Amino acid sequence: MTSLDPVNATPTGLPVSSEALSAEPVAESGRAGAATWRVFRRDPLGVISLGLLLLLVVVALAAPLLASYPASYGSDVLKPPSLQYLFGTDSLGRDVLGEVIWGTQQSLLVAVAASIIAIAIGTLVAVIGAYFKRLDVFISVIVDLTLSLPVLPLMILIAALIGPSTTTIIGVVAAFSWPEVTRLVRSQALTVVNLPYVDAARLMTTSPVWIIGRHIIPAVTPVIVVSVVVTASRAVLSAAGLAFLGLGDPTTWSWGRILYEAQQSGAMSSAWWLTLFPSIAILLLVLSATLLSIAYNDARNPRNRAR
Amino acid sequence: MSRLFFVLPRLGRGVFTIWFAVTVTFLLLRLLPGDPALAVASPNMTEEARAALLTQYGLDQPLIVQYGLYMWQMLQGNFGVSFTQSVPVMDVLLQRLPWTLLLTFTALVITVLVGIPLGVLAASKRGKVLDKIIQVIGVTGQSIFVPSIGVLLLFVFGLSLKWLPIGGAYDTDAYGMDWYASVARHLVLPAVSLMLIQLGSYVLTMRSTLIEALGEDYVTLAKANGLPYRRILWKHALRNALLPTTTLIGLQLGFLVGGAVLTETVFAYPGIGRGIYEAVTQLDFPVLQGAFLLLAITVVVANMLTDIVYGFLDPRVKTS
Repeated sequence: MTSLDPVNATPTGLPVSSEALSAEPVAESGRAGAATWRVFRRDPLGVISLGLLLLLVVVALAAPLLASYPASYGSDVLKPPSLQYLFGTDSLGRDVLGEVIWGTQQSLLVAVAASIIAIAIGTLVAVIGAYFKRLDVFISVIVDLTLSLPVLPLMILIAALIGPSTTTIIGVVAAFSWPEVTRLVRSQALTVVNLPYVDAARLMTTSPVWIIGRHIIPAVTPVIVVSVVVTASRAVLSAAGLAFLGLGDPTTWSWGRILYEAQQSGAMSSAWWLTLFPSIAILLLVLSATLLSIAYNDARNPRNRAR
Repeated sequence: MSRLFFVLPRLGRGVFTIWFAVTVTFLLLRLLPGDPALAVASPNMTEEARAALLTQYGLDQPLIVQYGLYMWQMLQGNFGVSFTQSVPVMDVLLQRLPWTLLLTFTALVITVLVGIPLGVLAASKRGKVLDKIIQVIGVTGQSIFVPSIGVLLLFVFGLSLKWLPIGGAYDTDAYGMDWYASVARHLVLPAVSLMLIQLGSYVLTMRSTLIEALGEDYVTLAKANGLPYRRILWKHALRNALLPTTTLIGLQLGFLVGGAVLTETVFAYPGIGRGIYEAVTQLDFPVLQGAFLLLAITVVVANMLTDIVYGFLDPRVKTS
């Protein structure tokens, strides 16, 4: 069983202590990567989480094969789950199973796209701040301020003004997720820039781009891997929140949109299957991503390998 | 005097954060695609009323003048006029604010009251089955989408068992003490939903800081002196582990408010969050803008108060 020790990772990424992240401030070489995998393989929770995530990816990719796109109205309105409709039907007679399957595609797309953008911006800002000390004050003030504000209402305002579409959602979620990444990566990058080998690199070249790209970014890669997972799972929740308030892409199915339509039709609490299945899908994705990041952190930590 | 030196920087920081929120809103509204005039004036207003409002905000002036005028209007609490209700946004929101404050404050208090003892329990049973169970509950709670848990509670305790009301904030036909009782009954399910998603962070932080504190020298000394374990745990170690947990409240406030927006929507709770949901449906942009700014101010003020109160309770904070 994994030790769910929050000193190593916390799902919200909030109280991560700097001690945990600076445990191994060197790039993970091929050998260290293999060692991590060996430890990881023996952790049932980590392996199950990885399996679940892969399953969701397969469902997303194979959506057209698994279910027809639930667009047309059916005559079987609000039918509870049966053999014909495994997840029941909604208030317009559409198959909820199909909606959840196609929703997987949209939710994963938003999560992956938003977190890649957020990670790219967040990491870049963090390493630039760590390397150029003068910018760091400015950057850390902006990060702290953004993190202390209620971002969901701000995302709502902007998504409503631009108009809901998949691009808007990805952009808005990414725009307010990068400060969290910067916060995580920055603390690691700050310890790395002070290490002797970075000083040595400064003697070899004057190009900050080379030093940052060749020496600093590889050294913070483990933190980036963890924050990809944390950011992606938060992005799923934020996107679902926007969709639940009616700011989802009206042309594509997403888990949040199923919940939104259930709420709008007033069937949310009586037709339990409308809420249950998309909710389970969200929970499975976020929980397995979280547990995976914890398991990865445990496996990466050399202190755990000895045991 | 020293108190003044302690309070002033925190006040300054709060003002600075609010300035930042207003500036970010201003810049985003102007720089992003979409008509910035929409954030203050409805396209359905009469031509003169619309023109008057737009001049007030100087939307025909250069950007820097617009920014100055925007700041000036915000300082006066003028958030524009609601599209749908034709009343100042501030009036609409201030009517709703108390409900949001009641809900979030209740949720915060019960989260801390449940989270800290659970964290202490997990830390004292470190590595045992109970510890694992508490941690799994914490991590799972953090992964839940708030409306999901809200609807589940609504379905079980509202519709099936009929123990608690399914929506709203009070009974319209209740007066006096009955009214307060009905407010309390309507508060239970939304507050518990919010507690469940918040709990994990508090439990996990409490657990890890307490484990760290239990390794300190003064704990070893207390053990060597023969103090009972319970007393060391609850009195000596806990007191020192409380600071990071208090800092967490500040970090989590923004997240809590976001959760409250979704929870209020599920429970038709008449706070700002439900207002946001209705404003989204009607594309009432001034209400959306005002809601964000008002919630940001609320979070900043709450943060400031926690910070100051804690500083007076813990002498280490004040001197450092």
